[in-house]
Amino acid sequence: MQKSIEVKKITKKYKLYKNTKERFLDLLSPKSYGEDFYALRNVSFDVEKGDILGLIGTNGSGKSTLSNILAGIVPETSGEIKTYGQVSLIAVASGLKGDLTGRDNIELKLLMLGFDKHQIAELEPEIIEFSELEKFIDQPVKSYSSGMKSRLGFAISVNIDPDILIIDEALSVGDRAFAEKSFNKMLEFKKKGKTMVFVSHSLGQMRKFCEKILWLEFGTVREYGPVNEVLDHYEQYLKDWKKMSKQKREAYKKKVIKNNIIEQEEGVSK
Amino acid sequence: MKSVINVIKEQIQYFYLIRRLSLYELKSKNKNNYLGMVWEIITPSIQVMIYWFVFGTLLRREPIIVGEEEVPFIFWLIPAFFLWTFFYQSTIQGSKSIYSRLRMLSKMNFPMSVIPSYVIFSQLYIHFVVLGITVGLFQLAGYYVNIYYLQIPYFLFATIILVFAISLITSTLSTIIRDIHMLLSSTLRMFLYISGVLWPISRLEDFPTILEIMKLNPVYYVVSGYRAALFGSEWYFITQWQYTLIFWAIVIVLLFIGATIHVRFRRHFIDYL
Repeated sequence: MQKSIEVKKITKKYKLYKNTKERFLDLLSPKSYGEDFYALRNVSFDVEKGDILGLIGTNGSGKSTLSNILAGIVPETSGEIKTYGQVSLIAVASGLKGDLTGRDNIELKLLMLGFDKHQIAELEPEIIEFSELEKFIDQPVKSYSSGMKSRLGFAISVNIDPDILIIDEALSVGDRAFAEKSFNKMLEFKKKGKTMVFVSHSLGQMRKFCEKILWLEFGTVREYGPVNEVLDHYEQYLKDWKKMSKQKREAYKKKVIKNNIIEQEEGVSK
Repeated sequence: MKSVINVIKEQIQYFYLIRRLSLYELKSKNKNNYLGMVWEIITPSIQVMIYWFVFGTLLRREPIIVGEEEVPFIFWLIPAFFLWTFFYQSTIQGSKSIYSRLRMLSKMNFPMSVIPSYVIFSQLYIHFVVLGITVGLFQLAGYYVNIYYLQIPYFLFATIILVFAISLITSTLSTIIRDIHMLLSSTLRMFLYISGVLWPISRLEDFPTILEIMKLNPVYYVVSGYRAALFGSEWYFITQWQYTLIFWAIVIVLLFIGATIHVRFRRHFIDYL
């Protein structure tokens, strides 16, 4: 099978500063200031062409960071990542310019993605139709509702025909009918053998759609495997998690992170 | 040096994109005003009037000489001030171009060095319009189109490269430390007064050292060149060849610094937001 995404030992470190003074000192002096925060630690996995991968995990487990790294928006701190083909990320807060009309935004976005005049003229009506914005298409985007914005963003990203599509909870906005339509479009993609990465909290959608699941826990891979197997474990985990008290949760989190660091260090020394 | 060549290559390769994006830039900026882009011309015109009033009427001054003849203050002021406006606006906009657009532009298929250039370019359209108006006014006043006009494209080009070099530096630094942008806007305000835009720096004849230092200012060079062209007094970049060399030396140094830090940091810009 052909590889579509290869991720090797990706780590993403953010710095948390207490105040601007720390931030400034860290920038100028060779000494390190501020607290290190690992959004992702030592994450490795491969995705084959045509796979549909679901990303799950509790809030703050690094799902969005990972999808941003896959899309090439955020650089990784260390590790190696390879993506084959054009990657398109759909997120709720997709980059639209509020002062411009929907139509201008489509043109601008396509232009920035490297399409020429003729291709833009060709794609534009398709996108407008798919977005169902009708007469609102010539209104400034800042007057749109959040559902309309995400419809426009989704319509653009889907119609440019990317090789890898990353969907970051974008389908949770918008009404049922549009979600249905989007799903159909994604099934179409599936048939074409495109790779998709799907980030969602809706396990039902995941079961219906995904083939493989990557479960992230506090920035590391907890499990990676076939959809039903991982989701069953995850559901059990969520139940246990709900029952835990706050102190227990903290203790558990510390333990997991500590284990991961030990594992990582052993891996390095080997 | 490699980064400089890289950055210049990117500009040439993506020139079509720079042109198209600059139009959208202009469009989105003036969408909310009824008069739209006309404001881009009204604002500097009002400013010219104010400076004319203050420096030309209220303050007593000696006559202004360009080449060999005396010229009215307002005509001496206009071309220089409009070129200054282009320089000022595009440097300011260029400096904040990256951090203010990064979130929106984050996923794209073009290099980041294109961002300051298309912002500069959108200002250039406005400058073309005011330059046209200036030339018209000069005809009415009896300073007719002459062979020295051929210098205008040269000085405009020189200004664009200067602004681009400065913007590469400031857009990188102000993305990392936002205060740099504040520092830049106050510095530029000061430069308006010391670049020979509002008053002839030859007034400082009694202090030759200061005068010499002020003449090294690249803004003074392009501003004087513009005047020489419109009044048809001399081939400024040839008669003042020493300053031409100094100007380009400064621009190359700025471009070198700008390209180096831009290329070094551009991958991590998003982390600084």
